Amino acid sequence: MTIDYSKLSVAEIMTKDVMSVGENTTIVDLLKLFRKYHYHSYPVISQTGELVGIISEDIVLEILMFNQMPAYEHTLLSVIRSCSDVAGGIMTTHPVTVSQDASLSETADLMLKHHVHRVYVVDKGKLVGILSKRDIVNEICKRRE
Amino acid sequence: MNILLQLLLILFLAKIFAEIIERAGFPGILGEMAAGIFLGMLWINPDDDILSFFSMLGAIFLLFIVGYKEINLQEVKASIKIALIPTLCSVIVPFSFGFLLGKAFNLEFIECLFIGVAFSPTSIGVSVRTLIDLDYLSKKIGSTMLSSAILDDIIGIFMFSVLISIATYHHIPTSMQLMIIGGKFVIFLIIMIILGWKVFPVLFTYIHKMQVKESIFAFVFMIAIFSAYLAEVFSLHAVIGAFIGGACLSSIPFAKIEDVQNKVSGISYGIFVPIFFAYIGLSIDLSAIQGAGLFALLVIVLALSSKLIGGFIGTKIAGFNSYDSLIFGVGMMPRAGVELVFISAGRGLGIIGDEIFSAIVLMIVVSVIVSPALLKLVIEYKERSVST
Repeated sequence: MTIDYSKLSVAEIMTKDVMSVGENTTIVDLLKLFRKYHYHSYPVISQTGELVGIISEDIVLEILMFNQMPAYEHTLLSVIRSCSDVAGGIMTTHPVTVSQDASLSETADLMLKHHVHRVYVVDKGKLVGILSKRDIVNEICKRRE
Repeated sequence: MNILLQLLLILFLAKIFAEIIERAGFPGILGEMAAGIFLGMLWINPDDDILSFFSMLGAIFLLFIVGYKEINLQEVKASIKIALIPTLCSVIVPFSFGFLLGKAFNLEFIECLFIGVAFSPTSIGVSVRTLIDLDYLSKKIGSTMLSSAILDDIIGIFMFSVLISIATYHHIPTSMQLMIIGGKFVIFLIIMIILGWKVFPVLFTYIHKMQVKESIFAFVFMIAIFSAYLAEVFSLHAVIGAFIGGACLSSIPFAKIEDVQNKVSGISYGIFVPIFFAYIGLSIDLSAIQGAGLFALLVIVLALSSKLIGGFIGTKIAGFNSYDSLIFGVGMMPRAGVELVFISAGRGLGIIGDEIFSAIVLMIVVSVIVSPALLKLVIEYKERSVST
């Protein structure tokens, strides 16, 4: 039997227990998190509980290797990031979000077409879950079995 | 020569020359311009329409990317608090020096204004390597320089847009004409703010669902072209529109997907921007530089010293000590990308001739070569003086 993924909502398969950081989390603490867990990125949550940005491995690597990078990589943005010592100063703002009732097929299409590895699921601006490509693959495999 | 071969040669030499120059410790744009000068000396005709068109796209995308990737409204607000006075001084003093230099050489009013505007911006990127090496980037004076660089770009682009509007009148505008210039600029800004605030975010929620390939990238590209075109409709320059168009997209998540940003950067820095810088090199009239003599020398000396003086005064007023004020002044001396866009546009519009164009290009080249070494010297001088 074929499964209609357009009828499956993101909320049904997303990871609800999300590990996040605050805007004032220090880079030292962020590095500890990246060492301890195998997540590729951490959502940054404001004091009011809203999703305000993302800290990815790329950003952390950029900060760590900043002094060794060739001069052309020293854009104004990367220089400003390198001077900051908290998550709020280095995060990527405006992450791609979807609502809880977005369909799985629509979200998977977005991720495939635009090479987005994970989307953040929000309800009125507040983070309620994360959906990665791995989550989708796992879910489809489970249903095929 | 066949245009495909011209494009191939320009891109190939621009990349190779830029690589050599980067490895020698200088900004790659010097290599890209050198590739243009080299090709110009050989056989490529700089007035070729197709090359000129690609060069225009380079200028448009250079400023579009500044708005799209580099400018963040929160950082602009923070920068105003930290660096407003030093920035204003390091813009007003060079502008005055440039304007007075033009007057001293009996140039037309619009040319004097243009030299003033061309003296005003800064390219902090050139100083960053030195600041990192000497561990000054994270110090207070380093962060003030960064904040100042953000404001400097915005003030420079605003001054340039006013200048371009004035230039269309070919004389000193009357108060009524100045009101029309201001009105057009405000209407353009209002349209772009409404588009960026209400229209583009909704548009991208549909664009990302389109079935055709690369829909988001295509629409980001189109918005760059559209905003550049709309600016021209309002008698502004295309590059100003591109900058504002980029800023309008800077907070739209679907327009800022990493993959899309990489594609916009790729087509800009991979193709259009190197052609733009090489075209600047192609357009340099070496005989005009020789002929400019004293004028070219004064352009270099006054452009660099005015940044030093303006930056020094501004930071002293802001409460920094003399050593840090000197470091700030020297750090603000280099000019690069945005200034080249200005002078290229000024030449294209007939505001300045070959002599002024070539003298300012020479000043830019000297500034990016000299400034890092000077910055290193003044930082070392400070360290020695403080330790004794």
